[in-house]
Amino acid sequence: MAFYEHTIVGKQDLSDKEVESLISKYSKIIDKSGKILKTEKWGLLNLANKIKKNRKGIFVHFKMESEGKVIREIEKLLSIDVNVIRYLTVKYNKLDLENEYFGVKK
Amino acid sequence: MRRDKKNKKGKKFGSQNKLTLFQKPEIKFGRSCPLSQKNSPIVDYKNIKLLKRYTSDTGKILPSRITSVSQFKQRELSTAIKRAKVLGLI
Repeated sequence: MAFYEHTIVGKQDLSDKEVESLISKYSKIIDKSGKILKTEKWGLLNLANKIKKNRKGIFVHFKMESEGKVIREIEKLLSIDVNVIRYLTVKYNKLDLENEYFGVKK
Repeated sequence: MRRDKKNKKGKKFGSQNKLTLFQKPEIKFGRSCPLSQKNSPIVDYKNIKLLKRYTSDTGKILPSRITSVSQFKQRELSTAIKRAKVLGLI
């Protein structure tokens, strides 16, 4: 069980409902064999360059503890998903949960 | 006698004492690494405020001989900057 940080960049014209369904869909998969320590919604940020004709992106950030198999499964699903334009998973052996860099709009 | 010592010192910092065109004048030579002090910020791909300080205005990573960052921190910095670029943050 290693610690992972997973960031998903969604298209700019996603409604809140779709973002919620996106989050719940992937957190259900993670909860099967791991556990989510923290989810952060960074909201709409403008991107440095255009990704698939999107100038802005909705960022969702998960901090979780799970196995490699689960991550591979999630990334397979993410590459098929239409609403997601970019994702990044980073493995850590120790996670710091307290400092946040983006204004977490509650 | 003292001048010889000075020359030897000069030769050691061969690459640093040549002021390159790109080098900011106010950076002294032989400065300690700003990132490996006690309360220096953590190098992370989310911490874009810190990463922006070590990239040029066109988004290129500044070399460590100009920003006087230690080699270990420079490697961490470059992977963090590349990850931030993948996500489109920088």
